[in-house]
Amino acid sequence: MSTEPITDEALYRLMAWLSPGFPVGAYAYSHGLEFAVEDGRVTDEKSLCTWIEGILSFGAGATDGPLFAAAWRANGDAALLEIAELADCYRATAEMALESGAQGDAFLGTVAETWTSADFAHHADILRGQGRPVAYAIAVGVAAADAGVPLRATLIAYFHAFAANLTSAGVRLIPLGQVAGQRIIEALRGPVSAAANAAMQTPLDEIGSAGALIDWTSIAHETQYTRLFRS
Amino acid sequence: MLDATSPFEAQTAKVDGRAEISFAHRGGQTRLAHLYQHEPLRVLFPAPANGDIPQAALVTTSGGLVGGDHLAITITNEAGSSAMAVAQAAEKVYRSTGEDCVIDVDLNAEDGAWLEYLPQETILFDGARLRRQTNIHAHPNARLLAGEVLVFGRIGRGERMQSGLVRDAWKVSIGGRLTWADALRLDGDIVAQLDHPAGLGGAASMATAVYVGPDAADHLDYGRAFFSNCEDGVIGGASLVNGVATARWIGADAQILRKSFADYWAGLRARIMGYPARLPRLWHV
Repeated sequence: MSTEPITDEALYRLMAWLSPGFPVGAYAYSHGLEFAVEDGRVTDEKSLCTWIEGILSFGAGATDGPLFAAAWRANGDAALLEIAELADCYRATAEMALESGAQGDAFLGTVAETWTSADFAHHADILRGQGRPVAYAIAVGVAAADAGVPLRATLIAYFHAFAANLTSAGVRLIPLGQVAGQRIIEALRGPVSAAANAAMQTPLDEIGSAGALIDWTSIAHETQYTRLFRS
Repeated sequence: MLDATSPFEAQTAKVDGRAEISFAHRGGQTRLAHLYQHEPLRVLFPAPANGDIPQAALVTTSGGLVGGDHLAITITNEAGSSAMAVAQAAEKVYRSTGEDCVIDVDLNAEDGAWLEYLPQETILFDGARLRRQTNIHAHPNARLLAGEVLVFGRIGRGERMQSGLVRDAWKVSIGGRLTWADALRLDGDIVAQLDHPAGLGGAASMATAVYVGPDAADHLDYGRAFFSNCEDGVIGGASLVNGVATARWIGADAQILRKSFADYWAGLRARIMGYPARLPRLWHV
């Protein structure tokens, strides 16, 4: 449990940036969930909750979380660029690369156009100058650090937004009722908190995923015949 | 569970095995240019089958690895050379009493080279602790095919891996630029991760193959077609990430996975290079 204070200003920006209305197009990405539903691996409230818990615990949560924390903590441009490079490369599948890179680029662009901050403008410039997509986790981590949002609060909000977006995708795909969706989000409070702990404690040379079937569904989604989602 | 621990662990010093192999293109052929080996790694050079490229066979003479052991394998195919390195046998990683077994693999393919790195299965005994890092450095005009197969426990004896550590990581650089990275990590409650429907789904085995080359994108269709016809007992898929052609297997049945992995590999080398669509004989022994 964090006791680090968060200013009104920082909380306000954090909520704006991670709200479903922030134009990164999050609703278009299912992280392979669309195929998991198609293939009968995710069929109801319980299996959807378990699937997302896996993504948070040992899938993207376990790789993007520590990368996010490293970007938030990055001391100097060279360190930040090295972390961003690693984050761009740590993509298991083509569509996970798309999901991360397209949202990261959209996030940086929108924040740069709406918030006047010399630090952030500089960071956005150097990240975009790499000639690589900017991973979403890196983009949010850097903006949060520049806005003075405490790391832990940012991680909780980031993983909540990720989990809520996947829940919303599952609610539409299965389909489930809105109350079932909210029960899942309540049930994922613990896994989100655990993912934030792991993100803060795991050095980058220890990161890794056990989400082989998450990756597999993402690959299978590339050739899924009827698709609503981009990933 | 004493029988899962190597009988050598108590008596012997930790090993530091090394194999450095370089091939070069000289006088119109690929020849060995450099060899250094240190126990328990040994390198043999079996005669290649008709129409096939030179082979280096990697042998671990200790019969298996324990916590604290270190192996370093470096293979460099210089400009224009074509050769493969293949493991002579499955690698066993025994239960560790605490320390990690560390394996570093560095694969370097220079301008116009073809390099295949084809290990056999790594069998992770319950309680094994393995850290393996495979680094690929490819020239933009080089072609390199590398893989790994992991088996979680001594399946034949009904043993599953329940505790220990696996961190099996890849980094691929093309023309000096980091292009793709990946890591499997199983830690803590390993059974929960192996059994989780989003984890390994109860699988006994998994495998990865990575192809790096200027034509990598041309072979995505091959991978997709291959995996659309998998046998029962294994699933897999092919993707193209940052220009690297990756293939993944998850096997309820380790033997069926092994066969599928071999079929994919044989088909891909034939498709890319026109080499025989088969693996070295010792891979099938």
